[in-house]
Amino acid sequence: MNNKELIASMAVKMNAPKSLVAVLLETTVATCTELLVDEKTIGFQSFGNFEVRKKDERLSVHPSTQIRTLIPPKLVVNFKQSNILKEKLKDIPHHD
Amino acid sequence: MIKEKISSQEIIDLIASKASVSKRAAEEFLKVMIASVEEGLLAGETVKIKNFGTFKLQWNEPRKSVNVQTGDEIKLAGYYKVVFIPDSALREQVNEPFAHLEPVELDVENNVLTKKNEFVEESELVQDPLRIFNEQASEIKNLLSEIQALSASPVSVISEEKVSSETIHEEENTTEPTNDKEKISGLIQQNQEFEDTLEQDDVKLIVENKTDQQIGMQELPENDKEKVDEIISVPSHNEETQLFSELEATPYLENIKPVKKRRIWLWSMIILFLLVGSGTLYYLYTSDSEFSKKYSINKISENISISEMINSVSKWFAPAEKPVSKPVTIVIPKDTTALDSISENQSVDSLQILFDNPRVYTDFIALERFKPGNRLTILSKRYYGNKDFWVYIYEANKERISDPDNIAAGTLIRIPKLDSKLIDASNPRCIEKAKELHDIYIK
Repeated sequence: MNNKELIASMAVKMNAPKSLVAVLLETTVATCTELLVDEKTIGFQSFGNFEVRKKDERLSVHPSTQIRTLIPPKLVVNFKQSNILKEKLKDIPHHD
Repeated sequence: MIKEKISSQEIIDLIASKASVSKRAAEEFLKVMIASVEEGLLAGETVKIKNFGTFKLQWNEPRKSVNVQTGDEIKLAGYYKVVFIPDSALREQVNEPFAHLEPVELDVENNVLTKKNEFVEESELVQDPLRIFNEQASEIKNLLSEIQALSASPVSVISEEKVSSETIHEEENTTEPTNDKEKISGLIQQNQEFEDTLEQDDVKLIVENKTDQQIGMQELPENDKEKVDEIISVPSHNEETQLFSELEATPYLENIKPVKKRRIWLWSMIILFLLVGSGTLYYLYTSDSEFSKKYSINKISENISISEMINSVSKWFAPAEKPVSKPVTIVIPKDTTALDSISENQSVDSLQILFDNPRVYTDFIALERFKPGNRLTILSKRYYGNKDFWVYIYEANKERISDPDNIAAGTLIRIPKLDSKLIDASNPRCIEKAKELHDIYIK
């Protein structure tokens, strides 16, 4: 499901025009991004938490050339699903 | 780092104020959004939100574990997990504080490694012709000892001595791995053995022939000894002429059967070629200027002796001598012409002129007071859109910055106005040029 399909399905549920949904979605994304840049954790009840984690710098060695490279630290967004969502996902049958 | 947690309610408030909609509408929107995403995920799809990221499901396999208290084995059921892959836009914005950092190859280790590689390559280059030479020499030695066994001729002994002494002489002039040193000691032993046999043969020699050349040949082992002990590089000219004089000593050879005489001639010719060949190879492969100088002098004398020899011997071995002098002339000119063509082919265009001209900074678009923890790369990214162009900011502020890696807080930094062609982040040549300057400034 891509962005368009998501907006379409939301518009149907909200009984609102797609344009309004699109604007609201953009605002939401912008707000979330802003908060995450400020290194704040966002918790959506029944869905999960978005948080920023710092990955420390590390030394990597190229397996074949043995060149050692210092990888700088970085900040990444991490999502952890809530238990409610996890329970819901149990309903999906697993094949293979 | 204490992280402040923002609840759903706070998000709703923020969205409501930003999008200027009622809180109820915002709340409904958020609920619907989450519901839609869940729905998509439950349908087994991936859900993508523009500029934010992608949600998808990941199956975690069931696994066995152990109850810590009782030690019983328990089985954990497999489950689906929602993974979120942030969009590159979000990822970059979040990583802003560390965006100026780049992976660094650790230079010290790197240099050592490359040096090692160079050393290996060099020694291989030197070793390779030497190894071939040694193999050939040992082959010849075997054949010569056969001849010697048949004829008990001192000539073959002496020429063999020359081969071995030449190898020693050359090997000791270069820095060789240990296995070659073993070879040298082995050769020294052989040398002494040959001297012993030669002393026995000396009696025969005096009886059979009493020419001056034979006396010269008797003195030869002493020369060899000196070479081995004192590691003096005896000019090969000396050896060549001596060997040459041996070849001239035909009256002595008349004692042996005609067939063997021819064989001895052939072998001494091959030895000569090998000596000359090894000499030229050394001249080409050694980077040591002193040695090459010395050898170039020797080589001239060698060439003279070769031409003399060719004149005298060409009647018997017309086809064999031709390849000898050729390899000397081929290799060197190749290198120089290649270098010339590279320097000539440098293309010159407008961008290159822009790169090559000294940059003058007169217009400035901004003035920045340097904050602690700030970097030139961060300023560069903000003003030019790419961190690599920090070098131009540094160039414009050179007189105020002593070390670009360590700028005192409060320093006023002028941000120069640059030609848009120079800071075109989409042009790899601009980036390349900036990196080049980077390497110059960061030592």
